[in-house]
Formats: sequence, C-alpha cells, structure tokens
Amino acid sequence: MSTVALFAQLKLRLLAGNLRGDVQRTIGFVFSLIAAIGVAGIGFLLMSLLRLAPDDIASSLVIVAFTFFLIGWMIVPLLAFGLDDTLDPAKLWLLPLPTGRLAVGLFTASVTGVWPVAILIVTFGALAGLASGVGGFLLGVPAVLLQFALCIVTSRLITTALSGVLRSRRGRDVLALSVLFVVVLAQLPNLLMNQGFSDPGTMLRQMAAVLRWTPPGMAAHAIADGGLVGLAELVFVALLVVVLAWLWVKALGRALVTPDASTQAASVRRESGLVDRVLPDGPLAAVVTKELKYYRREPRFRVGWFSAVFVTAMLAFSLTRNGPGGEGLPVVLTAFGALMIALQSGNAFGIDGRSLWMNAVAFGSERDLATDLAGRHLANAVVAVPLIAVLAVLGGLFTGHPAMIVPAALSGWGALGLGLGVGSVTSVVVPYTVPERMNAFSGAAPGQGGLAFVSSIGTMLGIALLSLPFVLPVVFGWVWVCVAAPFYGLLAEALGRRLAARIGYARLPDLLAAVSKAS
Amino acid sequence: MADAVRTHGLFKRYGPQVAVAGVDLVVPAGSFAGLVGPNGAGKTTTLSMITGLLRPDGGSAEVDGFHVWRDPVQVKARIGVLPEGLRLFERLSGRELLLYNGRLRGLPKADVERRAGELLAVMDLADAADKLVVDYSTGMRKKIGLAAALLHNPSVLFLDEPFEGVDPVSANTLTDVLRRFTSSGSTVIFSSHVMDLVERLCDWVSVMSAGHIVAQGPLADVRGGRSLNQAFLDLVGGPRGQGQAGLDWLGARTGAHPGEHPGARTGAQPGEQPGARPGGQP
Repeated sequence: MSTVALFAQLKLRLLAGNLRGDVQRTIGFVFSLIAAIGVAGIGFLLMSLLRLAPDDIASSLVIVAFTFFLIGWMIVPLLAFGLDDTLDPAKLWLLPLPTGRLAVGLFTASVTGVWPVAILIVTFGALAGLASGVGGFLLGVPAVLLQFALCIVTSRLITTALSGVLRSRRGRDVLALSVLFVVVLAQLPNLLMNQGFSDPGTMLRQMAAVLRWTPPGMAAHAIADGGLVGLAELVFVALLVVVLAWLWVKALGRALVTPDASTQAASVRRESGLVDRVLPDGPLAAVVTKELKYYRREPRFRVGWFSAVFVTAMLAFSLTRNGPGGEGLPVVLTAFGALMIALQSGNAFGIDGRSLWMNAVAFGSERDLATDLAGRHLANAVVAVPLIAVLAVLGGLFTGHPAMIVPAALSGWGALGLGLGVGSVTSVVVPYTVPERMNAFSGAAPGQGGLAFVSSIGTMLGIALLSLPFVLPVVFGWVWVCVAAPFYGLLAEALGRRLAARIGYARLPDLLAAVSKAS
Repeated sequence: MADAVRTHGLFKRYGPQVAVAGVDLVVPAGSFAGLVGPNGAGKTTTLSMITGLLRPDGGSAEVDGFHVWRDPVQVKARIGVLPEGLRLFERLSGRELLLYNGRLRGLPKADVERRAGELLAVMDLADAADKLVVDYSTGMRKKIGLAAALLHNPSVLFLDEPFEGVDPVSANTLTDVLRRFTSSGSTVIFSSHVMDLVERLCDWVSVMSAGHIVAQGPLADVRGGRSLNQAFLDLVGGPRGQGQAGLDWLGARTGAHPGEHPGARTGAQPGEQPGARPGGQP
C-alpha cells in the first residue's frame, strides 16, 4: 500500500513540478484538464444514453468502444510520450525495490493522471448504459475495472517491452516515422465513408460479431449478459490480465539489465559527389549536399515529405470520388501539393535546431545567410520539382483532363517558388524549435505551439494570396496565364530569400535562441 | 603584442537575473588561457557573447582588435568555437560534418578534404569517420567538434568545457592538439571546472564568480604561491569550515537505521540495504 501511495505522490509531484513557473505549460495543462473533464462527462453521458437504444445495437457499440479503448491505450502513449520519467523503468532501477513492487508502483503511476481517470469514468458509463438486472451490475463493476486494468497492463507491457528500443537512436527514428501511421489512421473514417457503406447498422453488427470474442469485447458482453456466460468471460479476462501482468513484470526485470547498444551503428556510404559535378565548389554546394543527406537520414524530414504527398493524395481522392471534376481541378490539386511541400520550408532552421550555431559562427554577412537559404531551396527543388510533375501527370490522368497536365505542372512549380519565398521570410520572422522526439500531436517545443501555429498559418495565407494571380485565371479558363507561373515563383523566391537574409542576419542570435529551445 | 580578446563591461541579463555583470576579460595573444568559475558564474554566457552567438545587453567585445558586433566578417573568419552541449549536425558523419563546415566557410573542397583527413587521423577518429555523429560518444563528439573548430585555421579558439565527460585518452589527444596550436602563436581560451587541468595547461587564468571577473593574469600571479585550487576557493569564497554539521548519520554503521527518510525502506532485500558496503563483490 505504501508503494501505491509513494508512486501516486511521485507522479503528482512530477505533474506539479512540470508546471511550476511556466505560464504556457500551466495554461496547456488547464486546457488539457478541461478537455479531460469534458471527455469524461460527455463520454459517460453518451455511454449511459445507450440505454435508450435497442439492446443489440447498444451492446455492439460498447463492444466496439471497449476494443477501441484498448487499441488507444496501446498506441497513444507510444506516440505521444515515448517514455516519461515515471514510466521509464531505467529511471527507477536504482531504488531498492523488488520487481513486483516496482510493477505495482509503475501501475499506480500510470493510472494517476487526468486522462486515465477520465477514461475510467467513460468506461463506467457502459455500466450505466448496458447493465440490466442485479447480475448485470454485479458483473458490471468488475468488468469495467478489469477492462481498465487490461488497458493499463497492456499499455505498460508494450512500453516496457519496447523501452530498450525506445531509448536507442534507431528505435526513436522508427517511432518518429510511426507518426505517419496516425496521419493515415486519421483519414481512415474518410476512406470508409467513401466506400459508401449503405447501412451503418449492418457494418456495426459485423464488426461487433468479430470483436465480441476479443478480451475487451468479452468484458463488454459480460456487462450486457449478466449471467453465467458473462461470469465465465470475466474469469477469462481476469486470467488474461494476470498473465499480461506477469509478462510485464518479466519484461520489466529484463528491461532493467539490458544495455543500450545503439552506438554500434553501421557506417554511412561516402558521398558520390553528384551535387559537386553540377554546382561550383563553395558554400552553396555544401548546403545542398547537407540538406539532401538530411532529407534521407532525418526522420522529421521523411515524415514531412510523406505527409505532404499523402495529404495531397487524400484531397485528390475526396475531390474526385463524385466523378471527374472541372478542368481546373488538376491545377488546384498540383498547386495544393506544392503548397504542402513548401510548408515544410516555413520553418527552415527548425530542424537544424541546436546545431545552427555552426552556421551562425561562419556567417559574417547577409550574403552568407542568403546562400544558405538558396542551398536549402535548391535541395528542396531537386526533390520537389519532379514530384510536382508526377502529381500533375497523375492529377491530369485521374480527373480525365490530360490536356491540363502541363498547365498544372507549371502552376505547381510556380506555387513551390512562392512557397519557398514566403517560407524563407516566416523562417526568420517566427522561427521555432522542432522537437527531436516527434510527437504526433504537436510540432513544436513546449511553449512554442502558438509560434508554430502562427508560422504555418502565415506561410499558408502568404502562399495562397500570392498564388491567386495565376491559379484563379487558370481555374476560369485562361490557361495560358500559367506559362508565367514558374517565372513568377522564381521571382518570389529570389525576393523572399533576399528579404529573409536581411531580416534574418540582423537577428541571427535571436533566431539561434528560438530554434535551440530544449524539447 | 596586442590582446587576442578584450571585453569592456560586457553585460547580460535573463529576466530579473543578471548572468554577466560587466565583464572586462583580457587574454593576450598566443596564450593558453583558462576561464574558471563555479557553476552559474557566467562563463558560457560570456563566451557566447564574445563569439557572436548571443547579443549582449551592454558592453563591447573585441577579437584581434576587431569589434565582434560591428565587424563580424573579420571576427568570424578568425575564431573557432566549440560551444557547450555538443550541438552538432547529428545526421552527418564525422567526415561529412567537417566537409560541410569547411566548405560553408568558402574553403575549396580539395583543401577541406585533405585537412579533414589529417584532423580525423590526429584525433584518432579515422575508424569512426563515416559513422553518424548522432551515434558518437561524448569524447568523440568533443574531438569532432574541436576538429570542426580548427578546420579553417583560426587564430583564436574558444572552447566551452572541452574536457567535460571526456575519457583520459581522448583528453590527452585534445591537449596535444591544443598545445601544438598555441605553440604556433595562436590563442586558446577554454572554460573548465578542473583546476588541475587548468594549472597544467594554462599560462593565463581568468577567474569568474557571480558574473564578474574576480582575478585575471598570468597563472603564477593568480596562484600566488598556493595551488590553483586553493587560490580559486579563496577567490570565489567556498566553504571554509568543516561543512558537515547535520550529517552525523553518514558513515554510521550501528545496525539501526537512524531517522526516517523516504529512500530507506525497511524490509527491502538485505543485499540492497543502504548499509551494504560498496565493493562487496559476489
């Protein structure tokens, strides 16, 4: 019992210590608290309202909901937090605690918090919505608690089993890429809707019929059943929780003594010097070479590029599913894709982050910064120009307007140039730190979320406004206008780069400080 | 000969806290200078302001007679920097990092390649040259950072805690390279807590405390017949008495656990009792 109290206190202290003296984090916490209370209240209400629905629909919904809770507990902690101090066994292994007590302590730490309590309340909503008769309530309370315990233990088992991986550099790289998974997952309902299920009721019944035999499904079914079958199901779930807990204790014992082997990494290939064959020797070639390497090796870049293409594909998919669109559609789509790609340059120095000093001590004039930006733009264009051409071709073919491929590509390139120009200005005006450890729910260091928001909105508005002069005429049929688009984009890029160099060089130390925030 | 570094009333505050309160740092050209001071004395802030990475709130700094904030081109070509915290381009290999750094400063690629190869060999990094910096150990990072700082042959080298967390072998490599560098008439300024090291390497010492320079000059003058460690403690006002009141329990081995503090839990496994002797091999 003292272990439970101790770890609950530890978690609460960590929560409080995290907030002390930091207004932005406190505000963030208050919002999170309000959101959790809202979720708990509304979730409980919705779940209890199931009482009004027909029995089979209600129980099917609860089965599906319980399964999603479990999946959520498995995935979200990994994506959102990686490891926090209370959850990383390595932080605690010097304490003279036997593994069993450590497990109890970590369990306590993971249920102490705003969100676990909110989820527990929502889960209890199922009891209000589903249980019938004395048996239902008698079985319902342990069923809800077991479901909750199952979620926690499974989630802990996964983070502990992966904790060795999560501490290594390669593991964190892979985890960073799993952010993509969330991007894809967020589009899943959209895709499903597009499939056009004629009857959501049938779909629900089909899903529930399968999920009913999963452990969370059994817990949900036990509440609705309330009889001997329910009892048997609960016994099974309880056994499963015990087995998972035992596995977790074993994994914990192993995680404590397994070393981190991440530094024994393989070498990288020596460069082929392709860039040097095309560009004259000098800083520009150096920057282009470095940026192209970063596109390949830095997970944050890989996520950025993939997301840009994926979001564009999704937009294309949803715009074209009701038959081929108008003639302007390929142009709009390609320009949108270029916008998404260019948005990555809206905070050009963010990913360099704390290493940017190396550039800062070398740059003695505005010209040097302008060269740096030019190198970054060139590297971006090396990837983006062919990519935009592919987008234009695909857009033209799928919408049934192959004649629009060339105008679409021209507009896309123009939009890219605009984006790079606008992006270089926002990069120096509202720079912010991109955290090392990617988090699916925030793209900026703690306390800089507002800046990140201003930056991306600013870039987006800037690009959108400046691209109207050629996108609008094309949409209305004056296709020839887009011949000028690449030149317009090039002009915007050159002007934006020079303006950014002038502003950025004057505030180089501030720029450095803004992208070097601890994350 | 002129001074390599000279600052006048350098001043920086973070909110209400004054980090550097009017520092007049002087380092003669060609010296191996140590900047020492307790944690929080303002060493890093001072070095950042002299190297142009942090804008001072007041005062001025000159390197080789050039004003840091008015004549950055001249200053930046003359200085090499190794900041605290090992912040490097992590996703480049050691060799690529040197190539990038040299070419960014406008050196021809062929020259940079030759220099990088030699530096990597001297720093004993040849085997790790094609591994990513993100996978380097602390000592390797300090060495590749120093190599990057030396690449353009600066005349003044600023190193912030270059020996922190570095193993003796790597530290020896670092000091060899730095000695060679100063013997050719160039200047090294480094910050450190390790008095023995400063005493061994430096011929010029500046002592900082609470944002001020409290002593500065040739090593022998600052030391004044004492060991540098004692001189330092006298200067910054370390604890003079036996600061052990209230630690009676420390080292007591009477069997009973005195006091109830949260770390000591009765009933834990016997082998992990706080009373267990260190070094008790199985």
